[in-house]
Amino acid sequence: MLELRDVNASIGIIPILRNLNFTIEQAQTVALIGRNGAGKTTLLRTIMGFTRASGDILFDGKSITAMHPPKRPGLGIGYAPEDRRLFSAFTVEENILLPAQAARLDKDETNRRLERAYTVLPELRDMADRSGGTVSGGQGKMVALARALMLGTRLIMLDEPFQGLAPALAQRYAEALRTLRDTDRSVTLMITESNPSLLRGFADRTLVIERGEVEEGSLEPEGTNA
Amino acid sequence: MNFAIFLLALFDGIAYAALVFIVALGLTLIFGVMRILNVAHGSLYAIGAYTSISLTGYALSLGFAPVLAFPLMIVSAVLVGILIGAPLEKFLLRRIYDKSEVLQLLMTFAVFMILEDVQRLVWGTRPYFDSSALQLLGNVTVFGVTYTAYQMILLPLVAIALLLGMRFFLRHTVTGKLITATTEDREAAQSIGVDADKVFLFTFVIGAILAGLGGALASPTTSILPGMGADMIVLSFAVVATAGLGQIEGAALTALMIGLGRSFAVYLYPEISVLVPYLIMVLVLLVRPEGLFGTSGARKI
Repeated sequence: MLELRDVNASIGIIPILRNLNFTIEQAQTVALIGRNGAGKTTLLRTIMGFTRASGDILFDGKSITAMHPPKRPGLGIGYAPEDRRLFSAFTVEENILLPAQAARLDKDETNRRLERAYTVLPELRDMADRSGGTVSGGQGKMVALARALMLGTRLIMLDEPFQGLAPALAQRYAEALRTLRDTDRSVTLMITESNPSLLRGFADRTLVIERGEVEEGSLEPEGTNA
Repeated sequence: MNFAIFLLALFDGIAYAALVFIVALGLTLIFGVMRILNVAHGSLYAIGAYTSISLTGYALSLGFAPVLAFPLMIVSAVLVGILIGAPLEKFLLRRIYDKSEVLQLLMTFAVFMILEDVQRLVWGTRPYFDSSALQLLGNVTVFGVTYTAYQMILLPLVAIALLLGMRFFLRHTVTGKLITATTEDREAAQSIGVDADKVFLFTFVIGAILAGLGGALASPTTSILPGMGADMIVLSFAVVATAGLGQIEGAALTALMIGLGRSFAVYLYPEISVLVPYLIMVLVLLVRPEGLFGTSGARKI
């Protein structure tokens, strides 16, 4: 459902992504593993259109390389960037609803998707009316996941979702991802992480990014044969 | 200072604050969303005034009733926003959002200079005056002091309505929410599908309409002549900076402070009246460099 052909991206004159060629199938859960600075975030940003890149990116067989970035979420792509806080001017629920409003979804569809988000993250219902500026960093990550769920009907990309989460919250977040996987078997998930152990047993495919190059890998510790 | 003079200074200050606030609201909205201090905002104010007085004069010469002056003010403001504001954002400012602030300031200052000359080319240098809208609403007498209803009632009402309307728009309408989200975090907004280009264009046009509306509303109360745009941009900048850039409610309060400070100085110490707005600004910024209501770092509108 997502294919990259000869994708190169650089920031300024520094090349970040080199000659990426890979295809992700629908319904896959892909872990994108790499150290800080390896190019994980740039890869997601390139798919979203925020980084200038050469080559071709295909979504459902159609090239989206030249597509205006704000139109891309409308294809069914939910994206939760790292370190992007909630909008403090709005309540938690208003934050979750914003993507649906930006996409001008109708009321019924918006409510359906909000229910989907609350099914995955029921604890957000209790904080729906709190101001986006008052939730903790960890809760903010939960809300950001819910926000990505609103438009992410085909592909959900989460950038380092476990970064900075307290262990209990990280566990809860992983649980929410499993609920999502159990309730929606067709959506494609792409999760970046610098610590492979967090996604072990959940991801069914692992891509390793190293100095801007991507290759197939494994989440198992080196030396095991699982 | 006797009571009558006090009331006069009070009414002068409120009427003046209302006008400055309307212009400053556009300036601070544009700054809040696109982080650009638009010096050409002053020209849009002046052109709004010229357009309004020309349209009104033309309508009167055709024999239409003077009451037409009011809708023509709105028409003038919208014309300024769409015919000047929209192309300015789309073809010029859009290219410099990621450039340094100095360059942005120089660029909008250049636009300001060009538009000043355009005004001289189109309307010449002689002053225009037409107070038919002012006279139409008559006078009000309060405690023995007679004042025009236009300045004492209409201008403050419009300013308050715009303040409340803007608040409601930004917090409770879909378009407004998308603007607010873009203001807070442009990339986070884009990653949920907000078209920042459209938000910027729309915001700039709204800001330009507010500048034009300020000029149109000012037109019956003053002589319209070259240089009025420069006076207004400096003053509305003082209001916006004192409040904290991007602070809408704060701008309303500082407009009142600066308007009243200026009008009381006119009656009490006329020789320093021109200085007073800037004295207030300097004093506030010495104590709170981020402005009375500004928060350093976080951006808010």
